[in-house]
Parts: sequence; C-alpha cells; structure tokens
Amino acid sequence: MSKLILCMVLILCLACSGDETNYVEISENKILDFPQPDFFPQPVYNLEENPPTEKGFELGKKLFYDGKLSSTGVISCGFCHVQEFSFTHHTHEVSHGVDGALGTRNAQPLMNLAYLEEFSWDGAAQHLDAFSIIPITTDTEMNETVSNVINKLKSDEVYNELFAEAFNNGEVNTQNMFRALSQFMVMMVSADTKYDKVLEGNSVFSEEESAGQSLFEAKCASCHEGILFTDQSYRNNGLSIDLRYNDIGRERVTGLEEDKYKFKVPTLRNIMVSLPYMHDGRFQSLKEVLDHYDSGVESTQNLDPSLQQEISLGISLTEIEKNQLISFLKTLTDDNFLLDRRFSEF
Amino acid sequence: MKKIICLVLVLMLSVSCKDDDTLETTSIDISFANTINSQNIELSTGVYQTTLGESYSINELKYIISNISFIKEDGGIFTYPVEDSYFLIDEEVPSSKIITLENIPVANYSKIKFGIGVDQSNYPLNGVDNFVPTAEESQMLWSWSAGYIFFKIEGDYSPSGNQPDEGFLFHIGSHGTNLDNYKTVELSSNFGFNFTENTLVYINADIPKLFNAVYDIRIEDKSDIQVDPVNAPKIAENASQLFSSIPQNKR
Ligand code: HEC
Ligand code: HEC
Repeated sequence: MSKLILCMVLILCLACSGDETNYVEISENKILDFPQPDFFPQPVYNLEENPPTEKGFELGKKLFYDGKLSSTGVISCGFCHVQEFSFTHHTHEVSHGVDGALGTRNAQPLMNLAYLEEFSWDGAAQHLDAFSIIPITTDTEMNETVSNVINKLKSDEVYNELFAEAFNNGEVNTQNMFRALSQFMVMMVSADTKYDKVLEGNSVFSEEESAGQSLFEAKCASCHEGILFTDQSYRNNGLSIDLRYNDIGRERVTGLEEDKYKFKVPTLRNIMVSLPYMHDGRFQSLKEVLDHYDSGVESTQNLDPSLQQEISLGISLTEIEKNQLISFLKTLTDDNFLLDRRFSEF
Repeated sequence: MKKIICLVLVLMLSVSCKDDDTLETTSIDISFANTINSQNIELSTGVYQTTLGESYSINELKYIISNISFIKEDGGIFTYPVEDSYFLIDEEVPSSKIITLENIPVANYSKIKFGIGVDQSNYPLNGVDNFVPTAEESQMLWSWSAGYIFFKIEGDYSPSGNQPDEGFLFHIGSHGTNLDNYKTVELSSNFGFNFTENTLVYINADIPKLFNAVYDIRIEDKSDIQVDPVNAPKIAENASQLFSSIPQNKR
C-alpha cells in the first residue's frame, strides 16, 4: 500500500516537472577554471554571466584567428594582436588593416582583460563583449559588418557545430560570437613574471632591479599603479600633439574639454615585447620613453599635474636611473604567457 | 481504498500541473506614428517651423524602443522579455512602425512603459548584442564606441525661417558612464489598454516637441549634436516627451 502511494507521488513529481528537464546540460562542455592569481583584484568581467567553457574558448580562439571576420577574408584579430608580442601589432606604430589601410592608433596588448573596466585607449567601449564591434566595422581595420560576419558563420558547417557545442541555445548569433571571443580573451591572464615570483617569495631582484623598483614606485606608480601597473584612469603624459592624427583622446568619448589629450594609463606588464610605445606608437624603445619623461614632456592642454611638480616639466631621471628602471621593467615579462600554446594560432 | 487513493492522486496530478502559462495570452501590435501638427511627416519635402522661428525639413528620423512593460491599475506589472524588446522605428520604413509583441497576458492595463535607446546597465545582458545587426543596418551604431545611437534626426534648417538649406543632425546616445542618455517613457490613459477588447495600441510622437518640450533648442546654436555632454541630454529629455497614446476611435 505505502509502496503504491510512493509510486504515485513519484509519478506526480515527474509529471509536473516542466521545462527544466528539457534543458539538457551539454555534459562534455566543461567550465574552465579561471586562473585567478593570488595578488590580483577580483575580475571586473562577469564570469558567472559568461563562464569560459572548453568549447566556448575553442570557438573564441577560432574566431580570433579567422580572417572571415574581415571584408577581405585575411585580416583576423590575431593579425594585429600577435601573441609573442603580448598580442600587439609588433613594429607597427599605428596598426594597419584591410588592404594595408592605416589606422591612427597603436594596437593595445591583450592580457588581463578580465580586470579592465573600460576598453581602448580612450575607454570608448565599456564592455569586452561589445568591443569587437569596433575592429570588425572600422574601415581601417576589418572593414566588415557584424551582420555579414554572422551570415558567413551561419553558412559554415564547422561554425554551426562549434556554436551548438559551446552555447546552450546553440545559435549562431552576435551575442554568442562576442561571448565566445570574450571567453577566449578573458582567459589570457598574465601573472607569471619575475616580479610576481619576487612577490610570492620565489625569486629575488638583483641590486639593479631593486633600485629600479624603488624609482618606479617613487616616480611612476602614481599612474602605473598596483599589480596591474595601471590605475585605469585617463591622463595626459605630455606627448607632443601629432598633427597627422590630432587625436583628442578621451574627449572623443565624454565630449569634455577637460578630457582632451588624455589616454588610458596602459599596463606595463610584458612591456619589453609590446613596442612600439604610446597610443600612436611613436617611441621604439623604453629608452625613448624614459627620455620623454625626463626631457620631452610638453605643456599641452590638460597635462597631468603630477608631471608639473619639478623645476622643469616631467620626471627628471639620470642615465643610471633610466637603466635601473629598464632593468626593473624587464622583470615584467611573462614568457610562459607569451608562449602559452592555449592561446597560439597553431 | 486503492481506487480512492488513485482517484485523489490523479486529481492532484491534474491540479498541480496547472502552471502559469495556462493564463490567457494574446499578441498585440503597437503602432507608432511620427507626426507634425497631427499630420504624417513628409520626409525631405515638408518644411516645418520651430517655435523659435527656424524652419526645418527632415531627411531621416529613427529611434530605438526597448524594455517594454505594461502596468495594471493595481500596480501589477507585466514586463515583456527584455531580450526580445528591442525595436527600431524608422520613419522611412512603414513596417518598422508597427511592432508586434507576443504572449501578453490578457488584462486591462492602465499604463505602458518603454525605453528610448538601450539601457546601459544591461550591457551586455539580455540580448542587447543580438540587436547589433539591426542597428548596424540602419546606421544606428557608433562603431568607434561599440555603442547604439538611441535617437537620430537629420535634415536641413534655416535660422531665419526660409527654405531650409543648411544641414543639421542630432545623434543621441550614451557614452561612457557619465553621459547616459537612456530615457524611459510612461504613458497612462484613462481609456486603458484593454487587451480583452482590442489588441492595438496607438502611440503618437509629436516631433516638434523635440525642439521645445522641456528645453528650447535653436538649431543654429548647434546644428551637429552627437557626443555632447551639454546638448545631447537636452535633446534626449525632449525626445522622452514626444509620446502620447491615442484611443483607437480617434484614429
Ligand atoms: C587592424 C588592426 C586590428 C585588428 C584587426 C584588431 N584590432 Fe584590436 N586593437 C587594435 C587597436 C589599434 C587597438 C586600440 C584601439 C583604440 O584605442 O582605439 C585595439 C584594441 C583592442 C582591445 C582593447 C584592449 C584594451 O586594453 O582596452 C581589444 C579587447 C581588442 N583590440 C580585441 C580585438 C579583437 C577581438 C579583434 C578581432 C575581432 C581585434 N581586436 C582586431 C588593432 C586591431
Ligand atoms: C601622470 C601619469 C603617469 C606617470 C607619472 C607615468 N606615466 Fe607612463 N604613461 C602614462 C600614460 C597616460 C601613458 C599613455 C600615453 C599615451 O599613449 O598617450 C603612459 C605610457 C607609458 C608607456 C608606454 C606603454 C605602452 O604600452 O605603449 C611606458 C613604457 C610608460 N608609460 C612608462 C612609465 C615610466 C617608466 C614612468 C616613470 C618614470 C611613467 N610611465 C610615469 C601615464 C603616466
């Protein structure tokens, strides 16, 4: 008797479970462990909303290295963002895209993107998932439309399969494409440098590096702050105005005169390999960068107050100090990241 | 005894399985009319006056509608699924001006609420990114900022009220966190939106209010308003005042 009741209750439960059971978890698509380094802040990117998965990452990587995302079929994200140079467009002052068209800015390194609040040199994009609209549709980059890209992907069997595996709704659509690209990009965490090892107590700085670190903390860390080497603010560090581009920087986004010529304080991780430097790639070496801070700072509109504290503009540095700073900056290179096969095209 | 238990259980089964979607629902149409002096707009050819004495013509008029919800007398709210709630109204494309919403619970609503533009606090959730191709095809996307243009009007004007011959354009959207021009509109009506009787909602946008609803806009002062922390919020505020709902029998 009681068995019968039990049985019926069971049937009852089964019969009433609605949609929830129609939702089949794709069991092979494992959620990847986000490699959160000990000393890093919490990610800004919402990893619960779009958790990187094995298949999503794989799809994102394929998209990242696929020229299909451009009008000419040959310019991929990876064309301008080359891994061994910390995902920058090595040796190109300003990036060039389809048919050699020249942009106006230097490609930014891609790493630790999960920790950024805004994207691009002026913070034009507020979310990584929407960022790809910019390179895909910019005429000097991929010169394509998002709709076209989606159509190309829809007519490709391999992509149909990958989208189906990577996302519960399986659709080839804009949101899923952007999310896959983000899954690939947020996993690019770089925190395995000599600097990090010293923090962890697993390595020690040489005397020269130590001296460089002290200098850095005294003279640079107010802007290149903390473990990410940027406070993510927008500032004018006194570069002369290049009339070819007349790039107004942050003002483009806010429309505010007080933001003219301000650019995002860039991270300095992997700085040795991400030359050339500055938003327009005007400096070819760290020596040139330090010469700029020492003697090249110009009094342009909105020059940061911290570069007007000394008798002359900028940050005075002796040649010895410059060498010490460079030695320190060299400890910010993460070879394991630059060679990590998970992110490489082949 | 067994039979009775069986009966009771079967009864329970049928009762307990009844869930919300057995509520009666309907699909409804919302029809947007952009008018000037109660007349349809004559794109390019029509010449109109602002209250400040300028004349203007309109070549292009587009805006994004989003986040639609219906509110009942007792305060109960039905929110249309956000990911399906993005629509582009383009004066030039008649079909774009009638939007169809599915599965609205049948009830007598007293208010309708919607957004003009895209709520940035939603980035990137709720299908916002899936609206990109539509917005892109209608040039309602700022590709340099990966952001939507919420409200767009382009045309010609004449400061002295003569034949318009100088271009003007207003492209209003949000930029960064400090320039958020997303607006919501709430329309109430004494006749209500009673979807048991009819399933058509008429909304009128009285376009001249764009130049004077809250802020007086002299086109000559700034004929190109885009990323503009002073003027763009004024246009956005005025734009949020354009709309009214009109009873069906007045059409
Ligand atoms: C033609 C070269 C080029 C291509 C192709 C390109 N990028 Fe970029 N990327 C750049 C440049 C230049 C910047 C800096 C943009 C700016 O500040 O306006 C940048 C910036 C970025 C940033 C911002 C990083 C930060 O720290 O804010 C991300 C993310 C990014 N690119 C991802 C991508 C993705 C994903 C693709 C492919 C869909 C792509 N890029 C294709 C040149 C390129
Ligand atoms: C006032 C804030 C500030 C201070 C202080 C400062 N920087 Fe910078 N730094 C910036 C900004 C902003 C940029 C980007 C400027 C641009 O491209 O327009 C930058 C760019 C750089 C770059 C180029 C990075 C790249 O990826 O292109 C290097 C290298 C650099 N700084 C090193 C230093 C060093 C070393 C010091 C100390 C001697 C220092 N900075 C002090 C704000 C600052």
